[in-house]
Amino acid sequence: MSLLQVRHVTKRFGGLTAVDDVSFDVFPGTIKALIGPNGAGKSTLFNTLTGFEKPDGGSVLFEGRELVGRRARDVVRAGLARTFQNTQLFDELSAGENVMVGRQAHQGKGFTAAMLRLPGATAEDREAREEAGRLLRLIGIEEWVDVPAADLPAGIRRLVEIARALATGPRLLLLDEPAAGLNATEGRELVHTLYRVRDAGVTVVIVEHDMGLVMDVSDEIVVLDRGRKIAEGPPRMIQLDPVVIAAYLGGGEDEDDGPAGRPGRCVSTAPADAPGDA
Amino acid sequence: MTSSRTWRYAAPFVIAVIVAILPLVVTDRFLLKVFTFAGVNALVVVGLSLLFGYAGQVSLGHAAFVGIGAYAAAYCTVQLHWPWILGFVAAGAVSALGGLVLAVPSLRLKGYYLAVATLGFGELMALSFKEAEPVTGGVDGFTGIPYPALGPFELRTASSLYWLVWGIVGVALLIAWNTSSLRPGRAMRALHGSELGAQASGVDVVGVKVRTFVMSAVIAGLAGALYAGVVGFVSPSVFTLSASVTFMAMAVIGGTGSLAGPLLAAVLLTLLQYFDALIPGIPRSTSQALQEYREDIYALAIILVVIFAPRGLGGLWRRRDRGGGEEVRQ
Amino acid sequence: MSELLQFLIAGLKNGCIYALVALGFTVVFAATRAINFAQGEFFMLGGMLGVAFWQLGLPLPLAAVAAVAATAAIGALFELLAVRPIKDGDPLRIIIVTIGGAVLLRQLTLHFLGPDERPLDAFSAGASFKVWGAAIERQTVWIWAVTVVSVAVLAILYRRTAFGKAMRATAIRRDAARLVGVNVSLMVTASFAIAAGLGAVAGITVTPLTQTVFSVGAGMGVKGFAAAVLGGLGDPVGAVCGGLLLGLLEALVAGYIDPVYKDAVAMVVLLLVLFVRPQGILGGSGREKL
Repeated sequence: MSLLQVRHVTKRFGGLTAVDDVSFDVFPGTIKALIGPNGAGKSTLFNTLTGFEKPDGGSVLFEGRELVGRRARDVVRAGLARTFQNTQLFDELSAGENVMVGRQAHQGKGFTAAMLRLPGATAEDREAREEAGRLLRLIGIEEWVDVPAADLPAGIRRLVEIARALATGPRLLLLDEPAAGLNATEGRELVHTLYRVRDAGVTVVIVEHDMGLVMDVSDEIVVLDRGRKIAEGPPRMIQLDPVVIAAYLGGGEDEDDGPAGRPGRCVSTAPADAPGDA
Repeated sequence: MTSSRTWRYAAPFVIAVIVAILPLVVTDRFLLKVFTFAGVNALVVVGLSLLFGYAGQVSLGHAAFVGIGAYAAAYCTVQLHWPWILGFVAAGAVSALGGLVLAVPSLRLKGYYLAVATLGFGELMALSFKEAEPVTGGVDGFTGIPYPALGPFELRTASSLYWLVWGIVGVALLIAWNTSSLRPGRAMRALHGSELGAQASGVDVVGVKVRTFVMSAVIAGLAGALYAGVVGFVSPSVFTLSASVTFMAMAVIGGTGSLAGPLLAAVLLTLLQYFDALIPGIPRSTSQALQEYREDIYALAIILVVIFAPRGLGGLWRRRDRGGGEEVRQ
Repeated sequence: MSELLQFLIAGLKNGCIYALVALGFTVVFAATRAINFAQGEFFMLGGMLGVAFWQLGLPLPLAAVAAVAATAAIGALFELLAVRPIKDGDPLRIIIVTIGGAVLLRQLTLHFLGPDERPLDAFSAGASFKVWGAAIERQTVWIWAVTVVSVAVLAILYRRTAFGKAMRATAIRRDAARLVGVNVSLMVTASFAIAAGLGAVAGITVTPLTQTVFSVGAGMGVKGFAAAVLGGLGDPVGAVCGGLLLGLLEALVAGYIDPVYKDAVAMVVLLLVLFVRPQGILGGSGREKL
């Protein structure tokens, strides 16, 4: 049974069709990657799935329920959380407090109880604080819990945002380029984190440019080019797909050397090298 | 480090004691009245600082809510002959209603629209205070407002009024501090930091903004009721755009993310108004110059704070507290 | 019938003034996504400085031009000193800084030019025109003419010159404009100068009819903003339409209901538009909503 069913989603901006009739499934307990050259429409697709943009057509069924037309907050409440390419942390709060916000969005005790400092409110707060600590520990960054978000290094900011998204208790987590700007060590940490997240029962969809990471971590890959889905399948298959290779090599996208490495290189069965590594 | 820690915990108590015993030390009635006014302003600014300093929303119409509260309390006690406490509660209720009516439509919109909506609302209310003669007494306003009374005890002396006002300030501070240190405060600061991030974390952005706004409107309205009781009359010339700007100045200078900063700013700026009365021996020319240039000083202070110390007094204090090692984040 | 015509004439007269002030708001909003609360003070400065120059002995046309130029310069200076130092360009901070700036400009005018109301001679002497039983003062015609010319000049500037293209690029996407070589900082300064100039033109042209005083800024600012929002914030055509419409509404309310409500019209219109159709009459998709 598919956890997320994306069917014929389309999004246009004026004359530009950013997402063109895209359909795919995400199955529970897997890690799915969304790749494609720059401008392929990946972030826009994310926005339509999570209620930040309204698609012009199509449907998105999450656990059988329609998400299209719901606001971002309701999508989160339904169990689908996301992070942003441009990390959106609350700079005035500490890392731990950032995560607490994610946790407490579900809590209902409200203003009045807080104003009067009723025991219910303080208990909730205590519980949220503990949960935040636990999530940061899960990701391995708990030593940053009291540091103001504005002072966190870029890699840690990413991870805090992931922890905050996890705090909302999602069954599906959408990560928008989580590896961007991370060095090799941080990248490996991220991979471990993604496995831990998956093992904790959260299905993951990531948008990524780092091909090494994608090949390593994903169970399945969807490839977008200019808004359209051009391929879908396990990493090995995508690597060998001539349509995918052509999409990466054509059109002047010189940043991405293609899923298998530099252009012209024989496609090897060891996907460990990312473009720019060798 | 430890000594600054204990200072942080002890300071509120020390200050509370000083505030409480002030009327025993200061016997000049006029001076006490000045401090009482400072308390009324401080009350407004505590509410406004939740809205501005935590949730990051600008209101240019808070004087209108003070006015609504003042006129409501005046009307209830003078025309309807209600006991003062009921008038006080009515002031809060009417302000809440006004705040809700204004906030719900405005806060659906992007940030700056609230500033403009509150400006429009403030001007509209100022006009109404002047024109709605049967209810507000028109340009002459309301006179003969009875002294505040708690049950059978009428508060007539300068000291008792001082204690009433600052007592309510204390309660408001406590409530505001509870709100800001628990979930709602975090939600406010979250949406101030990143509305996108807040939405993605499941925060009801519009709901938090509306609740914060209404809370600040209610506090302002209650301050208005206090003002009416302390002064004994209300006139429309008090609740103007200029007053709203002054309140914003106090909130801006006092700073974001703190309640103490804005409170201090409110007290200081109110005292500035009566500078010559407070410090005897100031040459006439200096005190006159101060009065004349008071608004210039506010304006300049706002500009300088926004450019150089965007987190205001509260922010500066926090940076010192951390040992000054933080970068200045613009 | 002639009564209605008289109201329409008054409405279009004030409408042009509001249109110019609203255009000023729109120009700055487009460049910075922030609301310039000092716009009303630019209007005030146009009138006050014009009178000051005239009373110093300058012939009226020269005094008017000098006033507009001086105000534009003040606008640019204000941007350089108070807005540009805000490094992150955060609209909230810009708004607050312009609030402070508005108060400061008003106070400085009070200190240097005094609290009195000041009159100004009409731009051309002579009796009013009589058209279909209604009277049109000469200054009213000047207002219409000046507005048309200003809007035309602005339109040409924005559509036909390289500078105008750069301004429009900055308004659409700042970062993209920067990437293609547009000096965004300069564009922002220019937008303040243009906005100040527009406000000053409105101020100097209406002063012969209304006199001027240091405190007219706030009220005009609110009305100009209401007009801009009515037409659609960020849309220059909307600003002009909003201004004219607001002027007409005011005149009709003052004429047929009660003059006392004239000033309330702008406020009510502003709140109604925000609540019912925040993108204004000409605005597009309602992207103002969260």
